[in-house]
Amino acid sequence: MDSNNTSKKFKEQLIKNVKKEVKQIMEEAVTRKFVHEESGSITSLCAAVEACLSQGLRRRALGLFKTSSTTALLHKMAKNFEPASIISQKVQEMENTDPNKPITLRRDSMASPRICPCILNRRGSLTWLLFNNEKSVVVSPFRRSSNLAPTQICTCTLNRRSSLTWLLFGNDNDSCATRAASVNSTLTSSITLPNVHPPPLTKKNSAGSGLGPTSITLPKYLWIRLALFEKLLAVIIDHLVQNCSKYYEKDSLVADPDYGSILSSLLVGPCALDYSRTKSHDQFWTDPPADELVQRHRISSGYHTSPPCRTPINYRRNLHATSNDDNQRQTPISAKDYVESLHQNNRVTLLYGKNNVLVLPKDVTEPMAGYLSLHQTASSLIIKWTPNQLMNCHSPGTNQNDHPEIDASDKSQYWDYAMNVNVDEIVYVHCHQQGNDNGGTIVLVAQDGVQQPPIHFPQGGHLLAFLTCLENGLLPHGQLDPPLWPQRGKGKVFPKLRRKGRSQIQDISNDLSSNTEESRDYVFQIISKARHEEFLSRGEEILDSKIWSMPSAANNMLNRVRGHLESSSTNSSTSTSSSLDPVASPLLINIQNTSKDTGDSLQILCETMKKQIISRAFYGWLAYCRHLTTVRTHLSGLVNTVIIDSSDAETGLTKEKWYSFKSDSNLVNDDTKLEIFRLTYFGGVQHDIRKEVWPFLLGHYKFGSTVEEQNAVDSHCKQEYETTMSEWMAVEAIIRQKDRETMAANIAKLSSESTSGGDAPPPTPNNSKVLSQELSNDVFEDNINFSSDEDNPPVVDDTQLEHNADFCDNPTNQTNTKKHIENIPKEIDCDKKSLSSDEGLGKDEVTEKDMTIKKNTSEDTSLYCPTSVIVTTNISQEKTVDNPNDENDKIDSKDNNKTSKLAVDENEGVGGSNHEQRSACISPASSQGGIYPVELVENFGLNVHRIDKDVQRCDRNYPYFTLENLDKLRNIICTYVWDHLEMGYMQGMCDLVAPLLVILDDETLSYSCFCLLMERMSANFPHSGGAMDTHFANMRSLVQILDSEMFELMHENGDFTHFYFCYRWFLLDFKRELLYDDVFTVWETIWAAKEMSSSHFVLFFALALVETYRDIILANHMDFTDIIKFFNEMAEHHDAKTVLSLARNLVLQLQTLIENK
Amino acid sequence: MATRKKVLLKVIILGDSSVGKTSLMNQYVNKKFTNQYKATIGADFLTKEVMVDDRIVTMQIWDTAGQERFQSLGVAFYRGADCCVLVFDVTSPGSFKSLDGWRDEFLIQASPSDPDHFPFVVLGNKVDLDNRAVSTKRAQQWCQSKNGLPYFETSAKEAVNVEQAFKTIARNALAQESDVELYNEFPDQIKLDGGSTDNRSSGSDNCAC
Repeated sequence: MDSNNTSKKFKEQLIKNVKKEVKQIMEEAVTRKFVHEESGSITSLCAAVEACLSQGLRRRALGLFKTSSTTALLHKMAKNFEPASIISQKVQEMENTDPNKPITLRRDSMASPRICPCILNRRGSLTWLLFNNEKSVVVSPFRRSSNLAPTQICTCTLNRRSSLTWLLFGNDNDSCATRAASVNSTLTSSITLPNVHPPPLTKKNSAGSGLGPTSITLPKYLWIRLALFEKLLAVIIDHLVQNCSKYYEKDSLVADPDYGSILSSLLVGPCALDYSRTKSHDQFWTDPPADELVQRHRISSGYHTSPPCRTPINYRRNLHATSNDDNQRQTPISAKDYVESLHQNNRVTLLYGKNNVLVLPKDVTEPMAGYLSLHQTASSLIIKWTPNQLMNCHSPGTNQNDHPEIDASDKSQYWDYAMNVNVDEIVYVHCHQQGNDNGGTIVLVAQDGVQQPPIHFPQGGHLLAFLTCLENGLLPHGQLDPPLWPQRGKGKVFPKLRRKGRSQIQDISNDLSSNTEESRDYVFQIISKARHEEFLSRGEEILDSKIWSMPSAANNMLNRVRGHLESSSTNSSTSTSSSLDPVASPLLINIQNTSKDTGDSLQILCETMKKQIISRAFYGWLAYCRHLTTVRTHLSGLVNTVIIDSSDAETGLTKEKWYSFKSDSNLVNDDTKLEIFRLTYFGGVQHDIRKEVWPFLLGHYKFGSTVEEQNAVDSHCKQEYETTMSEWMAVEAIIRQKDRETMAANIAKLSSESTSGGDAPPPTPNNSKVLSQELSNDVFEDNINFSSDEDNPPVVDDTQLEHNADFCDNPTNQTNTKKHIENIPKEIDCDKKSLSSDEGLGKDEVTEKDMTIKKNTSEDTSLYCPTSVIVTTNISQEKTVDNPNDENDKIDSKDNNKTSKLAVDENEGVGGSNHEQRSACISPASSQGGIYPVELVENFGLNVHRIDKDVQRCDRNYPYFTLENLDKLRNIICTYVWDHLEMGYMQGMCDLVAPLLVILDDETLSYSCFCLLMERMSANFPHSGGAMDTHFANMRSLVQILDSEMFELMHENGDFTHFYFCYRWFLLDFKRELLYDDVFTVWETIWAAKEMSSSHFVLFFALALVETYRDIILANHMDFTDIIKFFNEMAEHHDAKTVLSLARNLVLQLQTLIENK
Repeated sequence: MATRKKVLLKVIILGDSSVGKTSLMNQYVNKKFTNQYKATIGADFLTKEVMVDDRIVTMQIWDTAGQERFQSLGVAFYRGADCCVLVFDVTSPGSFKSLDGWRDEFLIQASPSDPDHFPFVVLGNKVDLDNRAVSTKRAQQWCQSKNGLPYFETSAKEAVNVEQAFKTIARNALAQESDVELYNEFPDQIKLDGGSTDNRSSGSDNCAC
């Protein structure tokens, strides 16, 4: 930055950057409730501002040598400027004492003490910052470990003069000196930092301002950030601008008379926004915005894989889990389930949390430390245990010291160790305590006798604390039996439990092995009241078998835990029965093999269990077979049977490949068709050649057609297009004239109303009648009352109405409002714009067109006998090119409602005479005219008005859509609608045309392609085919069969299995969900998929979207409104590439499943 | 009532396309106006917490597509509405004339228990524009003829009257909420049962697990 280029261009670029970021942030603020403090746009804005401020700073004079930061500048300013000193103070506070402040990650449960929060930028890269003391910052980006030995972490010390020193520390931060390789880095070396820390920081920089030198200024943005949050940034910068001579070189940006003030005024907007970090409690009912959910998810779920990447694995697991007849209980092991270990959120309450709880998972020799937590959801209690390795995966530096052998990429195995147990399924909790203060062990035993790995609590009463929380959590629908303490709430509880347990133990097994003195073991039964009552009603037998399952479970455990004792009193129902003793002590008896009775019972029990196991296995298998059958019957129609190989196709259809296909005879061979589709399907089309390829993909050109044939197709399309266009433009001219009259009439009416003042008469019956009739939302009905000849200025009020009627020489009209006379003025100034776009069109067809119109209209007139007829003579513009102002259309209309006989002759006479009149001066071939039934005009008029409204608003922010191109868009849609008047214009068509027009950049071609696209899409629109319902139904089947957990959620939460939240997706082929570049790729893939894998690829893309966020959706228990909001907010924020590849994978999975016979 | 922690008021905004429904909603909730909105497809909603007579309520404001052919989707969105906002564009008589249709459509689709007294609020939007074509008087007359619906003239662009209008909307919706509270439970439950049994039966067809 010192060797800065002070040219104007550079400054311009800097300002432009700021502008861009400001715009971004303001837009974000419009669409969201507030801007999240962690929003990437803030970082980018800060970077841009920083860049501006650094430019031309008088470092030398101010003593800010070699610094790339402006923080020092702030501190300077703080001396004599109040707002700056506020910020300066905050910055210092933050750097010194509260490292958590600028960044958020809840780490209350984190095991490693030094780890401070992470900064999450827009791409979700994580950079760990360890704030040690005053000014030293440890940057330990994730994945760091792959480059350095795990025992080393990289430290960046930012000393007073802000030069950067990079140190490689040993594990112990305090003894850093020994092995430190110190690199005193100047600015340049800080730029090279991204190479040292490859992925996250590089990404970060690119997400920032794009100005290299600001890259490592993360903490330096801090003051800008804070100033922004405190809404003081604009003031501070303004101060700088005012006092620029003091701080800046003359030729600097800030000192520039224009740029300086531009910069400060640009920032006024962002400073007016509200920035929020996280939700506070008073916002309890306000659901977090989608990006916050996604961010949280990223933070919490272990960064090594981004959520979309992980989902397929997850998903596959789900697919296979269906082979288990009980996949609901097999909670899928995924990062998501542990997200909530870190958070207490709206829906899940954290009841208990303890770190460094040891668990010995299966297949592991040594106990592992992890975070144990107890969560209360609306429906149940959940016990979770997460290995520290997962909890700390953001901080490999500290973490891997414990397990140096474990590579970061290997983390996935830990997900298998992690526990996620629903307390509903737990029947027994076995507790073992060794010694007085040696902690304790808990084993959870499920209904089916399966036991979870033992959980060992560290010493210090944690076991009891956990049990207490568990018992509290069970209330009011369940309880621990025996209860933890008989008189709850009375003093300390632990001794009581001990005493109680001890006394029972002594009662039951006083003479047993001597080590009972040392171990105090308990078995708690978890009783839900519902279950309890159920038992009572079912009677002894079931009761017994249930009770029996307890010792059997305990029996398993005995293999591990010797000298096990039980103190189990049963619930009230059993305690009344005489079997109390056998129930309480079968285990002991089993050990000693003394009691015959219980031995028999055990045998029965074993047999029961054996049966259960066998039947379970059988049902599992059966369920799997059924599942396959279901898949085959319901979903086989959705995918092609042939699986297409994806090899070498990931690169997509590149320019080279495309031209090599074309090279032979300069035409795209029919043989290469499949290969082109294959490449497109797996890799998309290179942007440059889309214009050429799309017409083929859409079927506008046939594969294998020669250039001549293609030209023929083009010219044919052009011809048709222009013919249609001139047809509707004639009608449009009428519509426009009517609009003008309507507007005049309305304004006149308004003014007459306002002049008539308060004593205006109440609406006459006539008037109200008109009102009620005008429900049809018709633009002409106003004319009925208020239109008049141009010679008569439109004066409108209730009396005028009668006058108007009199004018028509037919007083009966007044009662017959529907058949009013329409007086269309003879001379209509055609809209210049629309006509000028007509100019380029072929005039050769005019005569033919003229004839067809006449023919049509004469047919029409016979159809619409009783209604009025408008006769137009439309003069085309051949001669008027020189002088567009002369463009005139002659439109005559006569109403013939007095007599039922059509006044066609007369009208034609008028039209004809006009025609002749015109023909005298204009070439006859150029003239056109026609008779249009009022219905047609009205109908088309309605459509045109809607089209106008929507075209105006279509993608206004996308640079392609200039007025000229919007006009093209409009023409295409009008032409299509004119050809499909029965269907009419439907909102959404604009969105479908727009990408085609952007790529093809040719009106006719876009029109043709749009028609082809609409062959598939039109059925999605309401009232024109039930395709949308079919989509929804298919989605339902897909989700139900492939992700039953998700389906369950959708079903439970107010049942939104109608899938209306996918409506826009299917209606517009995801056009609104994705950014333009992604839309292109996704559309191509959809078109190619028809040939390659599935003609219902949209379904799979939709499914992939849902699955991408499934963890978030499930974790937040989203209901219909949540999910609508989530996806609406996520629009244009999806990672289309990942979703797309997931979608292809889903197709493949389904194909494999179906094929596998 | 007092024990209810959460009051959620569902408000539906209806009206012809491009009368400013999305803009009104965003002006009210986010205090922002931009001319970047596109035609709404499907439905979206925003929530806002407001104080109504010393009570904190959450307004869930639903923005819908303006083209009437998309109203077939309405049922899913209209259900459980506490207030319906009818919007027209004061420069477009057509949009004013459509109000009747929108009102009827809503009453049919949402089928509130007491259609005659269901709270509607009418907003004449875009009063900042010069080419006004629907007079205040005409609009008021219409509102009067429908049991005296509250009428506001607003400008989403210049934030004219938006706050006041939505305050009335919230208040009327809240009144509606407390009215139906007593029998609120029943229709819902019946609906739910119907839906779930229906789906369950189809579920057993499709899914073996």
